Amino acid sequence: MSEEVRFESGRFEGIVVRSPLVSPARLADVLHKRFAGTESYFSGEPAVLDFSEVRDWPEQVDWSGLVAFFRRLGLQPIGVRGVPESFDAALKRLHLAILDEAALRLAATRPAEPEPAPAPTPPSQAPASPRPCAPTTFIDRPVRAGQQIYAPEGDVVLMAGSNPGAEIIAAGSIHCWGPLRGRVLAGANGNLQARILATHFGPELVSIAGVYQTFENGLPSPIANRPVQVKLQAIQGQSHLLIEPIDTI
Amino acid sequence: MRIVVVTSGKGGVGKTTTSAAFASGLALRGFKTAVIDFDVGLRNLDLIMGCERRVVYDFVNVIQGDAKLTQALIKDKHADTLYILPASQTKDKEALTEEGVEKVMRELEAMGFDYVVCDSPAGIERGALMALLFADEAVVVTNPEVSSVRDSDRILGILQSKSRRAIEGREPVKEHLLVTRYSAKRVEEGEMLSYKDIQELLRVPLIGVIPESEAVLHASNQGVPAIHLKGTDVAEAYADVVSRFLGEDKPLRFVSYEKPSLIKRLFGST
Repeated sequence: MSEEVRFESGRFEGIVVRSPLVSPARLADVLHKRFAGTESYFSGEPAVLDFSEVRDWPEQVDWSGLVAFFRRLGLQPIGVRGVPESFDAALKRLHLAILDEAALRLAATRPAEPEPAPAPTPPSQAPASPRPCAPTTFIDRPVRAGQQIYAPEGDVVLMAGSNPGAEIIAAGSIHCWGPLRGRVLAGANGNLQARILATHFGPELVSIAGVYQTFENGLPSPIANRPVQVKLQAIQGQSHLLIEPIDTI
Repeated sequence: MRIVVVTSGKGGVGKTTTSAAFASGLALRGFKTAVIDFDVGLRNLDLIMGCERRVVYDFVNVIQGDAKLTQALIKDKHADTLYILPASQTKDKEALTEEGVEKVMRELEAMGFDYVVCDSPAGIERGALMALLFADEAVVVTNPEVSSVRDSDRILGILQSKSRRAIEGREPVKEHLLVTRYSAKRVEEGEMLSYKDIQELLRVPLIGVIPESEAVLHASNQGVPAIHLKGTDVAEAYADVVSRFLGEDKPLRFVSYEKPSLIKRLFGST
């Protein structure tokens, strides 16, 4: 029997809870009548909590209380929608996925965090499952200092390289013809299969699915300015970046 | 009419010196040229052009409708077809409005100008954005050091996104790289980036290399654009830049360093 572990994109059924309330106490009040005090009305369905209808956001939200409340109803909250950015950190602590455009925010800031290897996102939490044929973004001019290329889906192909101070972020892989400099982040939505390929490797930072590496002291000569690929490698259950020269004919 | 912005991101690299010399060079070739100082608040171009005592009205006065463009344009002493539009020293950069700058550009076109050279301030704020907004071509001035190269790269990115040509999706601004304050000797000794290194980093066609020279300091103190300093390498290098800009083929000069020979060292240069 094969022991290969596969990560595939897929859709799944679940419950979307649209709530104009964020206070667990108020929710309990309102829903008490509806469910007539029945504990575990649901039977463990995954749920997305949609708070887009909330008018006045309080400064503090009892997120763990909310999660506990929905758990008691028999739901498994896996993520939220329509929540202001200021709560990102709190949601992260509870391992709740952010499932709207804000997912972009999370992906973009992920590499800056000090955790070396964020846990790979389980498939059920994947913010937006890529469509069967994700579009490829081609960039024909050099990406310059201060410019950012962000591809929320698919691969990025840089036809004229990137310069120091540029930032390339792709949900898929990043291919670079010409010098690759700046910050280069592939698999931004947690795609562990993403790779970074370059003909002239020399970035300041590389990251795949949040596992990142900087090159503070310069690059070792076998990879500096040479054809290189970067991919993830699992060693004893931990993801590591493998940066290796590509043998070209 | 072609609008050329002289820009760099970083300060002190030689934008105003280049704007003055380049605009003068175009005028010496017979083109009707205007050079505009966009550094509102820190007027410099008029000093380099030696016309600071003739400034009555300035760019901001024209934009705000306090003066006519013809009243504010100062005719250059050295070249017949060159006019200077000085910056205001008293107003701040917010005085530069998009509509105002556009109006001035239209009027210059109606007056039959062939070239407008926009001397950009340092930085990436309003003044610099206004200077590059209407550009057809850009001369990006870079010194042979990493921070200057990085800033030039940044400004090239801004040209690609914030210029009118970029916003309207027209043919992109034509970019030229000009390396200034270049010392072939220090490059040879490994203390400076070579122009080839810079070009490799920025990947923009090189329009010239201006050697580091005392003559530039003398020129600005005297209020004479460097291109008029007959017999200096700086003047010749700028003349070459103008030629290349006009499509002529000129080999690069002043980029190689020869160690002085023994005879030269013994008897001094002859």
